[in-house]
Amino acid sequence: MSSWQLAAWLMLGGSAVLLFIGMPVAFTFIAINIVGAWLYMGGEAGLAQLARSSVNSVTAFSLTPIPLFVLMGEILFHTGLALKVIEGIERLIRRVPGRLAVVAVVSGTVFSAISGSTIATTAMLGSLMLPVMLARGYHPTLATGPIMAIGAVDMLIPPSALTVLLGSLSGISISKLLIGGVMPGIVLSIAFVLWIILRVRLTPSLAPHDGGAVMYQGWERWQPFFAYVLPCLSIFGVVIGALAAGWATPTECAALGAFATIVFALIYRAFSWDALLRALQGTAAISGIILFIILGATTFAQILSFSGASNGLVQLITGQNLSTDAIVAGMMLMLIFLGVFVDQVSMMMITLPIFMPVVQALGVDPIWFGVMFLICMQLGLLLPPHGLLLMTMRGVAPPQVTTGQIFLAVVPYVGMSLLLLAAVFWLPQVATWLPKLIG
Amino acid sequence: MIDRLSSAYGRLLAGLALAGCAILLAMMLIIVVDVLLRNLAVPGLPRGLAWSNEISELMLYLITMCVAPWLLRRGQHIRVDIVLRAIPPRVAWLLEWVGDAIALGCCLVFAWIGTLAAWSSYVSGAVNIKTLVTPEWWALSPLPVVFVLLAIEMVFRMQRLYRAERAPRADAVNAA
Repeated sequence: MSSWQLAAWLMLGGSAVLLFIGMPVAFTFIAINIVGAWLYMGGEAGLAQLARSSVNSVTAFSLTPIPLFVLMGEILFHTGLALKVIEGIERLIRRVPGRLAVVAVVSGTVFSAISGSTIATTAMLGSLMLPVMLARGYHPTLATGPIMAIGAVDMLIPPSALTVLLGSLSGISISKLLIGGVMPGIVLSIAFVLWIILRVRLTPSLAPHDGGAVMYQGWERWQPFFAYVLPCLSIFGVVIGALAAGWATPTECAALGAFATIVFALIYRAFSWDALLRALQGTAAISGIILFIILGATTFAQILSFSGASNGLVQLITGQNLSTDAIVAGMMLMLIFLGVFVDQVSMMMITLPIFMPVVQALGVDPIWFGVMFLICMQLGLLLPPHGLLLMTMRGVAPPQVTTGQIFLAVVPYVGMSLLLLAAVFWLPQVATWLPKLIG
Repeated sequence: MIDRLSSAYGRLLAGLALAGCAILLAMMLIIVVDVLLRNLAVPGLPRGLAWSNEISELMLYLITMCVAPWLLRRGQHIRVDIVLRAIPPRVAWLLEWVGDAIALGCCLVFAWIGTLAAWSSYVSGAVNIKTLVTPEWWALSPLPVVFVLLAIEMVFRMQRLYRAERAPRADAVNAA
């Protein structure tokens, strides 16, 4: 076994073993990096370098949008403004088969445009809309499926904390990656709405017609839309508009977006210090988890490179006489497979040190690759048995909804996400058109 | 006695996390003020805060440092538990000990190398030269402190594991 192969086994194999014995992800990488830095970066000097690299890894301006994007969503949810948005959308959508499920998807799309946290979107919609749908006789699969599916789409539609992380770790333009997620996210949202309508038309018993619902007319119908939904969407417009126009960096857009959300809550008298504190604590927790993994894991890629393992693996992959498409497809399949077992941050940390040199060596469009990477991570949120959003839904759904029903409910939406992945693979313009048009 | 110590230590970590929240809020406000000052000419005030980017990235690091021990107390440092859930609970409980022991060792090593890095930087007088010129040890010194806090919490964590049911913990598995 050559030295690079030994290094690859030690670093990749060792981290896999520690991950699977249940060590926290950040400590897994720290343990492997201590061994790797000692062996491949010059003993004690390597360890001192490891400490410095760890500090530098999170002292990075490019990562500051992560907590700020998460904060936008947390403020929206903890101040109760999200409820007003749902009301506004519910009054507008009428006489559609599976009306409440459609309302959940449209509301989720609007939240996605303001929130950078998928779990917050799913938990919010699940706790607010699921009881109403079940009480009105919706089948559990129709009530839970759209909420989980649109929660996952939150990762594609900016602002998205994980997109910022992917851009920062891979060296792909964060702005272009954020904008690249817009089109696939909207395509999926529309596909979900069409699927719900088709499904209820074919089997009307899945969603009884809600005759009990109050149907507002005239200004009463539109008032909450203009009062709440439109201002909320204007935050998205300002954030993405400033980003697309190049007026502000992703960090500045994120800070302005978070500040605008606080101002929005103040104007609508929804602000309270308690809500702000809970939003800050929620944000600190989510961001702290991600950033501490980065602190522990960043040197992993450097050690792989120093030991020759990165170069050896890249040559091994590119020397197989496979076409570029076959290699990219292989990488996507590996991501989907990993998504069944590990979380999204770990997926990035494990694969990017190998994938990105391959992407560069093959001359693959990084935006195209990055958007497909995002779709694979989004799929991981929905894949049984450990998809995060399945667990989130289990946490908020009443006991009469079985875990089997929750698993079954996501199947069509996983299918649509796979179709979208195939569409982006064969038609890269779906992902690259908007970033190229703007950038 | 040990329960009282653990409880007091938990309050210390929660206080540190609150400091992290305050830094987060301050970071947002500094960036907003910088953007506003750059784009709106306010008489008597500078056109932007030149140090804004540098201070923001330092704040991001401090937020990470402040909340990491608190997250460990709450079992929120994410992990993969698929194997632990598939094997007999008692074996999974034993693997928890293996993981905790390795993590404790990592914390102590990191605290040690962090101290060495900060001390050698202090002795050599190394500085970070960006918009602001600051001694490098300022940025390096929180690292060993936090890893000592993490090591102490890891000991409390093992004590809780010793008293718990012989089964894997219910720690977080995702941050998305």
